[in-house]
Amino acid sequence: MEKYTNFQEKINNNVIEIQNASVYQNEHKVFENLNLNISKGEFVYLIGDTGSGKSSLLKTLYAEIRVSSGKIIIADTNLNEIKHKAIAKFRRKLGIVFQDFQLLTDRTIYENLKFVLKATGWKKKEEINERISEVLTSVHLENVKDKTPHQLSGGEQQRAAIARALLNRPQIILADEPTGNLDPEKSDKIIQLLKEISSRGTTVFIATHDYLIIKKHKARTIKCVDKGIIEVDINTI
Amino acid sequence: MTKHKNKFLKRKIWSSSVSVVLSLSLVLFVVGLLSLVLLNSQKLSNYVKENIGFTIMLKDSIPQVEEMTFRKELEAEPYTKKTKYISKQQATEKLMKDLGEDFVSFLEYSPLLPSIDVKLNADFANTDSLEKITIKLSKNPVVFETYFQKDLLKKLNSNTKRLSFFLLIFSVLLFLIAFALINNTIRLSVYSKRFLIKTMGLVGATNNFIQKPFIIKSIYQGVYSSIFAVFMLIGAIKLIQKETLKILDVSDLKLIGIVFVLMFLIGILLSMASTFFAVKKYIKLTDDQLYN
Repeated sequence: MEKYTNFQEKINNNVIEIQNASVYQNEHKVFENLNLNISKGEFVYLIGDTGSGKSSLLKTLYAEIRVSSGKIIIADTNLNEIKHKAIAKFRRKLGIVFQDFQLLTDRTIYENLKFVLKATGWKKKEEINERISEVLTSVHLENVKDKTPHQLSGGEQQRAAIARALLNRPQIILADEPTGNLDPEKSDKIIQLLKEISSRGTTVFIATHDYLIIKKHKARTIKCVDKGIIEVDINTI
Repeated sequence: MTKHKNKFLKRKIWSSSVSVVLSLSLVLFVVGLLSLVLLNSQKLSNYVKENIGFTIMLKDSIPQVEEMTFRKELEAEPYTKKTKYISKQQATEKLMKDLGEDFVSFLEYSPLLPSIDVKLNADFANTDSLEKITIKLSKNPVVFETYFQKDLLKKLNSNTKRLSFFLLIFSVLLFLIAFALINNTIRLSVYSKRFLIKTMGLVGATNNFIQKPFIIKSIYQGVYSSIFAVFMLIGAIKLIQKETLKILDVSDLKLIGIVFVLMFLIGILLSMASTFFAVKKYIKLTDDQLYN
């Protein structure tokens, strides 16, 4: 029976699988009976009013908020059972773009990226340097790698955060408002980049309220409402 | 421009370490000074105690060979630090000199007896041991009587006991204060990096990987602080020697060596342990707890 279930999951190809999950944050119920399946390589938008739980949902997906009941499986990891020590290893399967960037403010962009690679087991200097210039080129940030985060504009910091999320070629990219600080042209480029990455098999899940972007780069869209989520037709927004 | 700013940032990080090192070394200096006093107080009390002794009056008209044999036996005892033989003649001469009168020609004989002064090892300088020793010795046929100052000894013992007790309490208290101070200083410096620590965890770094650079830095801080504290202590020792005219013996190199090693160990261990627990605490905190 178990084998059959695994087989079923393989066919479904789901990298994000949430069944009847309830999520609490400080005894405050954020989600109830949450159900969501996102498959490998899918590109999905997450919308909703401010405070509707977009960030909380993403935090749940990267195990910052623990699930109270139900079942959440992300990239073959069961978040119901995950121990605190195993969270670091689990997060290596994800690329996370934080709403507030979360760059290490005490070092340069290059050192920020190097930290992630070293932390996730990269040893060879040439490989590290090569990968860093690859990701920086993909977000057009080659010229600021020796600057510290506070020397960059909001948009540049945002792109640095995206570059960091791409480093380990993650199975899933979770992005919280990745275009929030960018002008329309740069937003466009970033979404194009993320779409391209998703077409190569990485699942991309973006929380945003930039409807212009959604309308331009149409994709499956999910909305947070009333402690749950619903699928919405992008044309009706 | 960038280089200039980086330099500024480095200086800022450096200066924050300096304040940790400075407070750590001051605390270590106090700990070092106190352990030096503590170790020396033992020596001082031993010195006083070893000046205590008892006198054995020997019977008159005992052949000198027997007296000498008895003295040899006495010196072989574990409680004896040193002995001093005073012959009948020496005692008579001393008394004559003290009195300023030739009492021998007056009495026509000397009533004084030959004696042996025994100075004790510090461990035996208490009334219990002394009573046992003197009772045993009194049974010896060459001994006329034994004699020691019981009251003085009692007073001395109770006073040194009380003094070392207070010194110990004071030291423990000061050590606790030192520990709290170091711990607080380090926690504060780690606290200022709590968001960085959180971020490191969010991008997939394991606890050990996050902790490693902090621990390495804490070891350096411990070493630097100990070096500063040792130099300060050397200065203090020189000053003490100069001011107290060597009444307090702080030139015992072995003792000072022990204190220096102790300071290094305490410095490094305290710095490491405080850093370890502080970083561990911030790794585990959630966003909400971090901001509260």
